[in-house]
Amino acid sequence: MAVFRTLLLIAGWCCSLVHAAELVVAVGVQDPAQVAMQGQALPSDMPGFEMVALNEDIAREICRRINARCSVHYVTVAEILPGIESRRFDIGFGNFLRSPERELQVAYSDAIWHSSSRLVGSPAAAKTFAGKLGQAVTLDNLRDARVIAVDGSQQRAFLQRIAGERGLTVIVTPTPVGAINALRDDSADFALLPILNAYALLSRDNPQQLEFVGPAVADRGLGGSVHIVLPKQQDELRRSVNRAIAAIRADGTFQRIVRQYFPLGLN
Amino acid sequence: MANPPDHNRISANRAFALLATAFALLFSAVVALLAFDQHRVLEASERLQQETVPAIIRFQRLARNLDQLRQEGERLFSSGTPEGRQQSLFIVMLVASHPSILDHPQSAETARDTESFLVETSRLAGQDPTLLKARHADWLHYSRRLSLLVDDLSVQGASLATDDLGDMVAVMRLARIKLIGALVLVGVFLLLMMALLRHHLIRPLQRIDHTLSSLGVDQPAPEFPDVRLTEIHAVEEATKRLHASLVSNEAARRELELLANRDGLTGLINRRHFMLMAESELQRAQRYGRPIAVALGDLDYFKRLNDTYGHGAGDAVLRTFAALLSDSVRQSDLVCRYGGEEFAFLFPESSVEQARILVERFRQRFADHDIQLPNGLLIRVTLSIGLADASHCPIEIALQRADFALYEAKRLGRNRVIVAEETI
Repeated sequence: MAVFRTLLLIAGWCCSLVHAAELVVAVGVQDPAQVAMQGQALPSDMPGFEMVALNEDIAREICRRINARCSVHYVTVAEILPGIESRRFDIGFGNFLRSPERELQVAYSDAIWHSSSRLVGSPAAAKTFAGKLGQAVTLDNLRDARVIAVDGSQQRAFLQRIAGERGLTVIVTPTPVGAINALRDDSADFALLPILNAYALLSRDNPQQLEFVGPAVADRGLGGSVHIVLPKQQDELRRSVNRAIAAIRADGTFQRIVRQYFPLGLN
Repeated sequence: MANPPDHNRISANRAFALLATAFALLFSAVVALLAFDQHRVLEASERLQQETVPAIIRFQRLARNLDQLRQEGERLFSSGTPEGRQQSLFIVMLVASHPSILDHPQSAETARDTESFLVETSRLAGQDPTLLKARHADWLHYSRRLSLLVDDLSVQGASLATDDLGDMVAVMRLARIKLIGALVLVGVFLLLMMALLRHHLIRPLQRIDHTLSSLGVDQPAPEFPDVRLTEIHAVEEATKRLHASLVSNEAARRELELLANRDGLTGLINRRHFMLMAESELQRAQRYGRPIAVALGDLDYFKRLNDTYGHGAGDAVLRTFAALLSDSVRQSDLVCRYGGEEFAFLFPESSVEQARILVERFRQRFADHDIQLPNGLLIRVTLSIGLADASHCPIEIALQRADFALYEAKRLGRNRVIVAEETI
């Protein structure tokens, strides 16, 4: 028993030497108003609440699993990658798809879910452009339209690439809510958004003014696996985060968090 | 038995090295076979883990998403409010936009068709809710198509695991057969090796051990059957040489013993040997109370004979005396050349009187015997004998008494037998 007590004392002494890591977590907001609500609980009726809450819950669960003390900051998506690169943030949640350009800036965790992109617009705009095009509007045949996308997103990068060829006018907004507002006030014809963000916003659109236009797209960098971003040369942190992701998937925590905000699994 | 020539034999070192090499090669081949199977199992396991299981999960996820699409379609038809239908429609759109569905062409097409149908249905129901019922029959077609696709994907996913597991089972079965075959092969090899060891090593060693245990000069020279191992053959040859050496040593020993115990001139036993044997005979006789007698004889005027005819004549007389003596005494009696022309006698199982008759008869015979000298001359020589009882005294005392009697015989004129008195 004396030996056991001694071992316990030594173990306790060792544990006291281990300090929890201090990490700064950036969560991409859906609405500019959320940036001003640092440290507060977001109202559940706030547009885009689901995406922010989902990311924040997953971030906090991962922090708990890696024994880190995390401070969560609400920022626009465009700020996250530079913030990670400059080491202002340690972990970034912004529903990031992989791209070669981003690979140069940051490191990626294992996939947390999969996503695609889809046009959103009003039925009237869809009808008008269908008339112009002579067929139902899709991302592949859209021409001469004003299309809005979130700054720093893959959707924006894609639109920039095809804008000249298609005669598109690309409008940039810092958040998905900004894109939806632009559609409502007719400053844009369509928005190209990640499907999950668009769903979260459209499902609150009452009365229904906007709808999905055309089929979803998952190729050309507009879909695929979604990742948490981390600073490069932080392999140990990346491995810890990956272990935490695997753990919360394995014990069902991840699925329970998703089900709090969305009616289906994200895998 | 004719042995094979040496070049047909093999060294034990080489034989065991060959056996060990053969066994090592066999065992290595077996291990290689099993390692190959293990590698295949590991490959299959890794494929199952890295490719098949994720693929199964993808199929399950796809099937689940398609089924949710179908359920949301049902919910759209059962919903009584435009808001409910809109919510269902959003989920349908969300699910239909999921990358897992977009990545699977058949699912993507089915989801796209389903979504279009439900969007149109929702739009028409917004204008006239009674149209829902009319379109439900069409919906059943989409729903059945989704269900069939869900079933197909589920079976397809399960089949992936079945195929991989089937491959693994086939490999494991093959490995089991190989393992059993390998065990049998190794067992047969060990039996063969034991049989070879027994035939070529253990049995020959046992034969050599048996031969060495009973090896003796009274045994015939050992014979061994043909052997293949050089070392065994060498030990057998050494055993044969050992037997020959034993026989040779025994002959030498006998010759040396003869030389040590016999008188070189007369061939009679010498004084030392006589004393040893007489001691033994006296002890035996005295232990059992048996009669025994000793006598000392001396050739009369032997010095004068030597001086007259030479030592060659003296030697001839001594040899003739000894030859005649050998023919005259009993086999159990001992006679030795005691020294010079003096001879000692021992008569076991004989009283003094019986011995006196024997020596008297011999004295007479010798005295009547013509001795031919080397120069052809025939002469006669007489003998004086002193006789004493040895039944109750040590040999030295008995001989001393016989010597006194001999002296008396000389004094009384020679060529006679005088029996010693009981006490001196």
